[in-house]
This record gives sequence, C-alpha cells and structure tokens, in this order.
Amino acid sequence: MADSPAAAGASVSRVTYDFVTRAIARTLGNPGKGYYLLLAAAVSLLAIGIVCLLFLLRYGLGLAGYAHPVYWAVYITCFVFWVGIAHSGTLISAILYLFRSGWRTAVYRTAEAMTVFAVMTAGLFPLIHIGRQWYFYWLIPYPNERGLWPNFKSPLIWDEFAIGTYFTVSTVFLIMGLIPDIAAVRDVATGWRKKLYAITGLGWRGTNEEWRHFTRAYLYLAALATPLVLSVHSVVSWDFAMSIVPGWHATLFAPYFVAGAIYSGVAMVITLLVPIRRLFHLEEIITVHHFENLAKLCLFTGLIVSFSYCTENFVAWFGGNPDERAGFWYRAFGSFWWASWTMNICNGLLPWLLWFKKVRTNITGLFVISIFVNIGMWFERFVIIVVSLAGEPYSRWTNGGYNPTWADWGIMAGSFGWFFMWFLLFVKNFPAVSISEVKEVLVPPRLAKGRVAR
Amino acid sequence: MGDGMNRRRFLKVLGVAGGGAAALSGCGIGPEPTEKLIPYVVPPEGQTPGIATYYASTCRECAAGCGIQVKVREGRALKIEGNPASPVNRGRLCARGQAALQGLYNPDRVTGPMRRNAAGQLEPVSWDDAITTLRSKAAEARDRGLVFVTGLESGSFGDLVDEWTKEAGGRHVTCEPFGFEALREGNRLAFGDASVPTYDFAAAGYILSFGADFMETWLSPVGFQNAFTRAHSFESGTSSGMAKFVYVGPRMSQTALSADEWLPVTPGTEGLLALAMAQVIVRQRLATVPADAARLSLPAPASVAQVVGLDAGTIERLAREFAAAGAGLAVAGGMAAHYANGAEIVAAVNILNYVAGSVGRTVKFGADLAHGSGAAGSHRELSDLTADMAAGNVAVLLVHGANPLYALGGAFAQAWAKVPFKVSFSSYLDETAAGADLVLPDHHPLEQWNDSRPRAGVYALQQPAMLPVFDGTLQTGDVLLRAAGKPGSFKTYLQGKWEALYQRLAGARGPGFDQWWTDALQRGGVYGDAPVRSVRLATAAAGVAAAAPSFTGDAVAVVFPHPALHDGRGANKPWLQELPDPVSKLTWHGWVEVHPDTAAKWQLASGDVLLVKSAAGGVNAPVWITPSVRPGVVALPTGQGHTAYGRHAQNRSFKAFDLLDVEANEYGGRTHVVGVTVAKTTDHRRLASTEGTGRQLGEDVAPVLSLERARGLHAGEHAIEEEGVPEYARAAEEGWAEAQHEKASLGNYAGEHPRWAMAIDVGKCTGCSACVTACYAENNVATVGEDLVVRGREMAWLRIERYFRPVARGAAVSAVTTPMLCQQCGNAPCEPVCPVFAAYHTTDGLNGQIYNRCVGTRYCSNNCPYKVRVFNWHNYAEADGVWDAFPAPLTWQLNPDVTVREKGVMEKCTFCVQRIRGAQNAARMEDRTVRDGEIVPACAQTCPSDAIVFGDLNDPRSRVAQLAEDPRGYHVLARLNTKPGVTYLAPVRAGAAEEA
Amino acid sequence: MTPKVLRDIFHPPQTPGVLAVFGHLDATVDAIGQLKAGGHGDELTVYSPIPRHELEEALDQPTSPVRMWTLIGGMTGCGIGAWLTLYMSYDWPVVVGGKPVGSILPYVIIMFEMTVLFGALTTILGLILNALLASRHQGTIAYDPRFTNDKFGIFVRCAPDQAASLEGLLKGAGAEEVRRA
Repeated sequence: MADSPAAAGASVSRVTYDFVTRAIARTLGNPGKGYYLLLAAAVSLLAIGIVCLLFLLRYGLGLAGYAHPVYWAVYITCFVFWVGIAHSGTLISAILYLFRSGWRTAVYRTAEAMTVFAVMTAGLFPLIHIGRQWYFYWLIPYPNERGLWPNFKSPLIWDEFAIGTYFTVSTVFLIMGLIPDIAAVRDVATGWRKKLYAITGLGWRGTNEEWRHFTRAYLYLAALATPLVLSVHSVVSWDFAMSIVPGWHATLFAPYFVAGAIYSGVAMVITLLVPIRRLFHLEEIITVHHFENLAKLCLFTGLIVSFSYCTENFVAWFGGNPDERAGFWYRAFGSFWWASWTMNICNGLLPWLLWFKKVRTNITGLFVISIFVNIGMWFERFVIIVVSLAGEPYSRWTNGGYNPTWADWGIMAGSFGWFFMWFLLFVKNFPAVSISEVKEVLVPPRLAKGRVAR
Repeated sequence: MGDGMNRRRFLKVLGVAGGGAAALSGCGIGPEPTEKLIPYVVPPEGQTPGIATYYASTCRECAAGCGIQVKVREGRALKIEGNPASPVNRGRLCARGQAALQGLYNPDRVTGPMRRNAAGQLEPVSWDDAITTLRSKAAEARDRGLVFVTGLESGSFGDLVDEWTKEAGGRHVTCEPFGFEALREGNRLAFGDASVPTYDFAAAGYILSFGADFMETWLSPVGFQNAFTRAHSFESGTSSGMAKFVYVGPRMSQTALSADEWLPVTPGTEGLLALAMAQVIVRQRLATVPADAARLSLPAPASVAQVVGLDAGTIERLAREFAAAGAGLAVAGGMAAHYANGAEIVAAVNILNYVAGSVGRTVKFGADLAHGSGAAGSHRELSDLTADMAAGNVAVLLVHGANPLYALGGAFAQAWAKVPFKVSFSSYLDETAAGADLVLPDHHPLEQWNDSRPRAGVYALQQPAMLPVFDGTLQTGDVLLRAAGKPGSFKTYLQGKWEALYQRLAGARGPGFDQWWTDALQRGGVYGDAPVRSVRLATAAAGVAAAAPSFTGDAVAVVFPHPALHDGRGANKPWLQELPDPVSKLTWHGWVEVHPDTAAKWQLASGDVLLVKSAAGGVNAPVWITPSVRPGVVALPTGQGHTAYGRHAQNRSFKAFDLLDVEANEYGGRTHVVGVTVAKTTDHRRLASTEGTGRQLGEDVAPVLSLERARGLHAGEHAIEEEGVPEYARAAEEGWAEAQHEKASLGNYAGEHPRWAMAIDVGKCTGCSACVTACYAENNVATVGEDLVVRGREMAWLRIERYFRPVARGAAVSAVTTPMLCQQCGNAPCEPVCPVFAAYHTTDGLNGQIYNRCVGTRYCSNNCPYKVRVFNWHNYAEADGVWDAFPAPLTWQLNPDVTVREKGVMEKCTFCVQRIRGAQNAARMEDRTVRDGEIVPACAQTCPSDAIVFGDLNDPRSRVAQLAEDPRGYHVLARLNTKPGVTYLAPVRAGAAEEA
Repeated sequence: MTPKVLRDIFHPPQTPGVLAVFGHLDATVDAIGQLKAGGHGDELTVYSPIPRHELEEALDQPTSPVRMWTLIGGMTGCGIGAWLTLYMSYDWPVVVGGKPVGSILPYVIIMFEMTVLFGALTTILGLILNALLASRHQGTIAYDPRFTNDKFGIFVRCAPDQAASLEGLLKGAGAEEVRRA
C-alpha cells in the first residue's frame, strides 16, 4: 500500500500525519459569508418544496402535471435520480476498499456522506408521489387489527426494503468510518466543538483492541455493502422491468440501471469535490490524480450505459416485437424526441471526451462534464418513465402528452435544497475527508536507523 | 295515491339524510363525519330499506317517448332504465335518457315562482300572486294577442294547453328546433299524406340513409337503433348475413359510423341520387315496379353523376344492391331534410322506396309518429310569430318546454323586447326564462303526471317517481287549471282523458277503469299497433326534381344537432357535457369539422379558431380536422354557447344557431345547411378531446372482417388468430400455469366459482355512448370539467374508442367503434404490482379494487395494457370544493350501493359488482343459484343495440360462454397472455377490405 | 446513582502503569517486541492514529470475533426475511395476477435485503460490545491526545515497583517521552 501513487506523491511532499490532521481539522473552522449564503439558498429551495407539498396534500396530486396514461412522472424520475446518485458513495467506500485501491481514501468520505443524504432525499419521493400520502405506512408490514399485510410480490415493497436497508447500512458505514476521525479532531479542537466531538467520538482512543475489532468490522461491513449496492438499484430497476410496458420490460434493466447509477453518482462526486477542494484548500490531499481516477470510473460506467442504450434499441429492432419497436420509435422520434436526444448526447457522447488525459486532468473540464452527465442522467429517467408511458403502443387510443407544472418543479427544487442543506451542514461540522485513511496511505514516520518495518 | 304522497313525503326526509351521508362519505382526509340517519320506525307499506322500488314512466328528454323505469330508493330517484314493456324502446335507453336525473337534481333549477319587479330584477313571489298575475295578464291580453309556445306535447298536457289558449283567445305554437316539416311536406308531395310513417329497420335487407341520423337524433333513435342492429348484425353460422347499410351525406354522423359504406355526396344532391337510383330500378326492371311509377320523369345516373359527385357506375351498383335486397329501406331526414330543398329530397327518397316496393314493407304509413302530427307545428309558425311580435301584435307570450330565445336568437330576440309581458314555465333559468317577466317553474317530468302518444296506438303514461325536489315548483298543468279557475288538479284532468281512452279501447269488455288505470301505470302505458295505411303515388310526385341548391361563399356549413346536447337542452347536464361526442370525441365545447385537404388549403391546425360567417351571423369555432367530413364542407354542432341556463351550460364556446336564418324556407322548415365564408383567427385552444391516436396502427383492438370472410367461418374455428405464447413454449407455459393455479386456489379460492365475463359484439356497437352515461349514473363516476379533460383526467370507466380505418388516398373513410372497459383479466398485470393488495383477484374472477385500501401508487394503471384505470387526482366529492362534481342536490343521485371515491384513489370498472352481489344475495334468499341473464351491468342494460352480454363463463350453458366460442370472437391484446374476461366479436362490414 | 455494573463499564478504576509516547512506527514495534520478550505481553495497550499491519504483527493477537456476529446476524436476517414473507402471505392469502400465494422467487429479494440489514447491524453491535469489553478489561488507562494525530503510544500495566525498569526499557527502545500513571 505504501507504494500507491498517492503515497508516493505524498512522501516527497510536506504531507505528514500532523499536516493531514491540521489540514482537515481546519475545514471545520467557523464558516464564512459564502457558506452561509449557500446554506440560505439551500434552505429557501427546501422551503419552496415544502410549500408546494402542502398544496399537494390539500388539493391532491392533480396539481402536478400528470395526464393519463402518464401516471408516474417527475417525482419518480427524481426518486430514481437520487437513488442513482446514492450509489457511487458505497461503491467507492466499500467496493474500492475491498479492491484495496488507495486513491479512494481521499474522496470516499464525501462520497459516503453524499450517499446518505441522497438516499434521504430519494426516500421522500415515493411518499410524496402516492395519492394518499397520509397512509404511506400501509406499505410497512406492521401487525394490525385488520389482519392485513402488504403484498411482497409487488416490486414497490422490494423497493421499500432495499432502500430502507441501503439507508441504514450506508449511514452505519459512514458513522463508523467517522469515529476515529472525530476522535482525532476532538484532540485538536477547542470550545464547544471539543464537547461535540467528545460525545460523538464515543471515547475513541485508537488502542490496539479498538483497531483490531474496528478493522474487522469495517471489512465485513464493506463485504455486506458491496452486494447491497448492486442489489438496490437492481431492485429499483425492477420497479419498471417487472411491468409489461414496452421500454420498461427488459432483462437488461438491472445491470443497465446499476451502471447508470454509479455513472451519475461518480459525476455527482466530482461536482461536489471540485468546490470543496477549492474552498477548503485540500489540493494536496485531493490531488488531480484522484480526479483522474474518478474520471476513468466515469468513463467506464458511461460506456456501459451507452452500450445499454444501443442494446435496448437493437433488441427492440432485432426482436421484431411490434410493440417494442413502436415504443422505441416513439421514444426517438415521438413528441418527446428532445428529451431522448438530450439523454443520448449528455450520457452517450460527452463521456468520450474522457478518453483524453488532457480532459481527465483538467478540473474545470471535469466539473462541466460532470454537470452535463447529471442533467443527462435525470433525462434518462424522465425518458424511461414518462415517454414509455405517454406513447405506450398497447392502447393507442389513450396515448397522451405530459407537461410538468409548478408543483413538479417546486418539489424537485425542494429536493435539491434538502440534499444540499444536509451536505453543507455535514462538511462544516464533520471531517469531509477521512483523516485516518489518508494517513494510512502515507509512509509512516520511522527512525533513520536503517530499520524498516517488517 | 293520496297515502302514497304521504309515504313519499316521509321517505323524502330519509332521502335528504341519505343523500347528505352519501355526499359526505366522499369528503376530505381521515375519519368521515358521523351522520344522523332517521331510521324507519314504521316501515311504509311495500318499502324495505335498501331495496329499490321501480316506477314506470315515460322519458321526456326528446319526443320519442321511450318507456322508462325509475329506480327509487328511500324516496330518491337514483337511476333510469328502459321499460321492457314499451314497444318504443324495448327496455333500452340513450345517454340523454340516462341523464334525465341530472335535470331532476340540477343545482341550477328554479326553486320557486318569480316576477320581474320595478327594478327589472326577478324576485320571488307566492304562487297565489303569481297565478293572479297570470290570470289578469291573460285577461288583458284577450284578442290583443296571446301566444302559448310549448315544446312538442303530444299528450294530455298539449290538449290542456290547446283548450286553455283557445279559451284565453290566443294561439298555441310548438317550438321544436329540429322539426320535421320537410318529412311531412315530402310525404305529402310523394303520397299526398303529410303524416310520418314508421320505418321497419329490423325487417330491412338493405338500409340506405340519406342524412337521417336515426340512431342519435332522428324521430325515435333508441327504437330505431335497436331495430337496426337486429338487421345489421351478423349471426355467425348463418349464411344469411346482414343488411348492408349505406349512408349518404356530406358529413359522417354517429349513425354513419356503423355504415358499411359512406357516400359523401355534394350537399343537397341526395335527392338527385335517390331519383337516379329509382330511374335505374325502373329502367332495368330490378323490382316489380308499380304501374303508376311510369309517369315519373326520372334522371339517368349519367346525367346527375357529375353534380352528385359519384360516378354513374356507383349509382347503378347502389340501385341494383338496393333492389336486389328485396326489402330495402331508404330513409331521408336529419340534415338532408334541412336543406332548402329538403322536402323534395324526402319526396325523392319516397319515390325510390316506392319503385323498389319498400313502401308498405319497410316504410309503414299509419303509425303517424308524433313528430309528424300537427302538434309538431312547423318553423313557419315561429317565424310568423317572430313577425307578429316585432309588429307588436303579441301582448302576452307564454313559453313552456322550449327555449326559443336561444334556438332562434337574432330576429326573435329583437322581437322579444317588443312583447310587453312574457311568461316562462321553465324549470331552469334558461335564456327565455331569464328574459321573462314571470317565471312559474314546472315540475321536472320525473316529478309530474302527464302522458304522451309517441305514435298511433301507443299511449305512454308519466307518473311522479318521487316528491318534487324543491317545494317551490308547481306542475304547469295545475297552474293553468287554477289560472282558468277550473276545479281539480291536472292529475284528475289526465285521468279524465284516460277514462275516455278506456271507453274507446277497452269499453265494456274492460276490467273497470281503476284496475285498467293501475295496470297502465305499472306497464308504463297502453301499447297497441296501428293498422298500416297503403299509399299511392301523388300527382305532385311527378314534379319532384330535387335540384341541387346553390351555396355562396368559401364552404358549405352543416349545422347539425349534437347527439347528446341536441338543440342545447342537454347543455346543463355535466354527464352530457363530459360525454365525448361519438364522432369527434370532444367534450364541453363546440367545434367545426374540417377535412384535412380543406384544412391544408386554409392552413389550419386542429385547435385553431376559425371565424365562420353566414348571411345570418358568425361564430368563432375551434377547428377539428377530420376525414369524417366532405372536403369543402364544414360542420358545426348545436347545443353550446348558452348565455344562461346554469353553471354547466353558461358561456361555453359558440352557438351554431347564429349561422341560421330565422326565416322559414319554402316548405316551412328551417334551413340548416348554408354557404359560409371562413377566416382564420389568431386564436388557438386545446381541444378537450379524449382521443389519443385515432388509428389502430396495426393493433388488434377492433379488427374488421369482410362479409365474405365472416360467412365462410364455421363453428370451432377462429377468424382472429390468438397466440399468447409461442408454439414451442406453450406446453411449458400451460403446465406452469396449471401449477400456479393449484398453488393459487387456497382458502376462499378453493372449489368451484363462477367467472363473470362479458361478450361484446363490436359489430353491434354504434358508438352511441349510452353505456358510458349509464356507467356514470350507476357508479357515481365524477365529471371533471373541461380543463381537467384537456389534461387527460376524465374519469370514465367505460369509453368508446372510435377508430378511422385506413383507406386509399381520396377514398371516403370508414370507422369502427368499440367499447373499452376493464377486461377483468385472469392473469391481471395490475394486481401483483399493488403493494397493499388494493387490486386483487376475487374468487369469481373479477379484478377487485378496494378503494379504501388503495394508497394511490398508480402502478396498477401503468401496468394495465388497456389503460382502463382512472385516478382521483382531486377530491371530486368535496362539497363546494374546487372540483366538486356533485353540487347539491346532484348528491341525491349518488348510488348508495357504490362508494364515493376520495382523492388519491385508483378506480375502475368491476362489472357493476354491486349488481352481482345484489343478485347473488337475492338468489341466496330464494335458496337457488343465480340464473343466466339475471345480472345485468348498467352498460349492458341500457345498450340500445344489445351489444353487451354478461354472464358466467364457467357455466357452459350461459349465453356469454357460448358467445365466447363464436368464430368472430377475439380478446384484445391476447398476445400479452392476460386472459381477458371480455370476449369481443369482430365487426363485419359488407364489402370491407380485410384488416388485421 | 448508576448501578455498579454500568459504572464499572463506563468509569473503570484507574489502572497503574507506564505510558510511553513514540514518534516513529519502527521504534514502537521494537518496543513491543522487547516488552513481550520481557513477559509483559498481555499487559500492553498500544495506541496508534491509524491501524498498521506492523503493529498487528508485532502484537499478533487472535482475529477479532466480530465476524461471528456478522455471520449469525446475516443468517438470522435471512430467516426473518423468509418467515416474514411466507407467513404473511399465507396468513392472508390473496391471489394476484394468477400467481401462487407464496411465491419464493420474489421473496428471495426480501430475504437478501434482510440478510444484509441484520448482518450489518449485528456487526456494529459486535464491534461496540467487544470494544467495551476490552476497555473494561483494561480499566482506565493513561492517554495522550497526540495518539490520534501523529504519535504512537504504549501503555504497560504494572505495579509501581516495576515501573522504573519498564521506563528504562521504553526509553531504550526510542520513546520520545515516558511517564507514570
């Protein structure tokens, strides 16, 4: 591990254990005006969303743009979008951990926090989109005097379990990784923050006993989280794949969605890391090398996604099923062609720029591309959900249009507010970069007695 | 019935409480407010709480006089169904008949008498004052001009009005906007007999309609449609086949949707075509032509082909087909009878019938349909009246059952101002009532005594089904009697008339009047047949030329009656407003039909607002581009554009009557086809259409069979190949399905159960949409209004899909209509995806939908390939809510057997499960099994063409089980392996190219 | 007044011993080696800012028992998942889409998710309990804030009379600072 590039790069630099602790602890200093502006922006977006939601509860979902037969629309689009975002986090923290890829250490904490908050956001949408929101708990298998149980054959129930588990596990994972770092910060902090970290640090001292159990637990959590990541978005994809709607009903969906999720997730990580790195002056800890690796991951998953697009359309044509063909024809050339092509260009073409090292190592370039990928991935879900329903070829008579309303946009804006509010609060109060794990990839301090650690 | 009245009064109290409960049960979030219901202490005689009573009566929504049975529960009329005893409609009913309830419970009814005060405002007065005023005004008006305008009143009330006006020294004028002057005049020209015959569609071997919309607005639509489908439907196995139906006219009406062939001829040349066909028949001796036909001077096909717009060959073919059919039937009416030369067109068609030998076989004089009787009046009377009024020769004008200020508009409106005192007996504040000085609200027909004579020999009774909804209304008959200072009520007057009738019909042999009267009440009237009168060709017939009229301007405008709103009287009923027009599928607003070629010429897109101007006036109409109208012709429906007439009718799009001249034409009718100039405006509106894609695009929703193909079918074979599963996988699939089924038959599912199913003969479906309204009425389906329809939120559980069929470029299009409702699939895709089991499979094979378990994830609808599930986007039952679909007292109509759904809930058709359970309970009480045909869903019950059959698929002897084996049978989207419970029978079109 | 058990867990009595602060990893490893040689093997507590395999090897302790928690938790979860789905299906048998009332295939998903959920939670539980037990075993021992930053540390539990010799040993091994507790 000692010869992983980050360490190699770091060994000659001034990056020592102490430097790392200080650098990261500094990010928790009292925030400036800019931070408060951002936070205010997030909170006001959230307020807009809440107001829209209240109207929705009072007057019914009709305020949103739904039109028969488009019974799922922007809310479910946002749900899938946010769940997707949530995926890179655990991927980086768990899967790359098992693969022992050292470069993850600098970025995984941000990714993990993002995961947790994204799931928190995603989880809201199914509750918002159901017709009688106040009965959401009927989906939970709780013993009741009516002796009713939910239907475990329904993909929506699978969803509930998958998302629930994912939220719990990724939260646990985040908190666990935080403990040694909180302890580290505790030992350099002063004032009320010291109290905060003294409590949240759970009295961690880094004894050999603690590390012995910690490392094991972390390993097994990672081992559990890895299949979980893959399962969650597969289950989300089955919400669609289990139905008979042409454009939904495809065996391809699970891998396709998982790849798409990681793709959008990594893009979102880049989108978030670039400003953090700039604002918190972490250039020496989050190096260009890290971004390049993220970009490579982005390119790889992006290629899988583009490949899936091709497969979908090829199978629709080659399979010769008239409904499939009609569905995909409508998708490409129907009244929603613009959405489909936005999706194809942003997700299919743009990532090809990442073949070039120049682009991969150009932070601004990456930032821009990542934004476009986010937009593209949102549209991918929009196309899959709305367009497939609007032009469903089974019942020609009911083919319909769809226009989102203020209620759709308002609540979507609210979800972004909600997400960024939590994220901003997190990065200012807890180490947004793992202290202990960054140290792990550094060369440990040794005496110059020619002795080398065995 | 005095005690009966008391009983009803008592029940009415319950009615209110029950109604309130039904309305409240739908509202808001969380627990429903508890309602205090008054229980029966002493149950009234013959009343069981929760058990409906049916009162026979007569429908007064149009003059056809269909017999009806009104379902009454706890004192409230809940549903109207056809009266099987009535020969007029044989137990069937149309959408307008179904919607009569919304007239009864209309929230905008006038609740009491009103008089215009000094300030010019209508203010409430007592009945005594009102009647005194009426008496004095009538007295003043004696020989200074008193005119009583009524709708078509063929019964005792009409007689009373006649007598009353005679005594008051005035005259009685009938206002029937779509009158039948041309028909009477045409018959007079051809046969010297100005009455209207009956047309025996059932006996016809070939049906040729010259503009006669006999299945929507012409004479007796329900009866005719029922008869038509019996002649036109195809019975598999029989080689006999079906009567071909050809429709001639510039516009494809709802009636024309069922046509095997549609001939969009030049407007006004229908008569020429008929004469030319007659010529061919005479010349080629295709039928045993009566001798006196010799003196007719008939044009040769070649000479008229150019003008008519058909080639001579086609005309000859039609003639041959018509004659060959033996009992051919040609009818002229509708718009063809509203040209300037309408009478001659009718005469020409009479001649065609005559030479083909149809008169007496399919065209039977002697029945004298009410429309034909003098009571129907003529438009000339109205235009004369208009002149008199303008000249100040009318002192008092009384209007009942008509809305001349709306229908006549223009000149009449100006003349109206000149009449010093105007009285309206309208139940609603329509244009006429709003402009009257005295408003004396009549009972709704469902609240009053009356009778009518739809045709000779048929005497239909009308009895109150419930106490008046509003205490303030009073039957006009009683008002007139009181005003005239006569003793007794209108009921006694009516019974007097019926005494006389009893003497005439039964006389001494009868069971005694009281017995006879009670029987009549129970059966809904006295039904007999009139002897057929034979007619000979009149001398005038020789002179019938039916020359084509000339039109000026850019296009010819056809102002046709809206099938649901008719002349506008239906416009205040949300059911009819939201009922998609059978052809255009547009709701809540008017439109102008333009052919694609014409639209291209004028650079129009659907929804563009077009300014259509005639000599009489102009309207701004949104364009609906359709192949169902002849190029160069524009068609506009009447019915909208009210300036009054309640919340549902007021200020909706335009009034097509504005295009028409009030002046009567030569035969005393009103010309409805006029030359117009058009100008595109910058306006545009989103059409409130329920149509997505109007073509099947190779889908197999309604595959059409040619007659040849259908004839060739033998029992056991299937015309439409259904391959749910590929051959190689079938065995595996079946084995698997069997195993699944075994695992699925647990608990309640174990053992034998019925499987409720439907068979729908698409060939019989005419698209009339009566079933749709019946479904609204039976299942408390909410209406959502124009804005939400535009946003695809209509709640219909049952919709009629109208597909235009692909034809060669330039050829006249043909269409097919098919009802689409929940298919109650055996393997329902909607069920397994519901997370809370709100959608589940009942033991008897229905796709149950548990409204109060539904949380509204809407996955079921996404997964339904038929898209027959609808969602409550808002709370349509919230009293005074933004989207309140049942403003009081419309709540009284809500069916207590069906939940009123709240917002956020998915709803759908369940084959009227409340009726199924009702029948099962009844059977259990009598300790027997449910009989086949005992359960009739609302749609099947009302269907005028008997296209829908319901029953148990697991009972091999049931009708539905047998129809399911019909060679024409198919299942929509069977390839998805959903195992639908609805079997459709493919429509057969004579001379149709095979589709699917 | 908190019960004794809890007090013992959260505030164990002060343990006497020697605390050494090291600046270098290899020195720490060296010290550990000498201490074990000196028979202090099981009185050691080593502090480090990060887990290092060198230290693990030097101490060479048995593998943490946490993995057993994960295994048992996971299996329990799987069982609960199976019970939940099947019991509830047959407790209220409703047929949907012509499918069997209890259909294993879709239930596997629930079972899997429950496996992960319970596995993860028990793992955490295992970690917490084991760590608590360890600290209870050690008692309250001397600590230095730098241990979470850049210093390594060794605490040796010993009676006051042995302290002097141990100090010498630790210093010799390269401790930057040694103090008694």
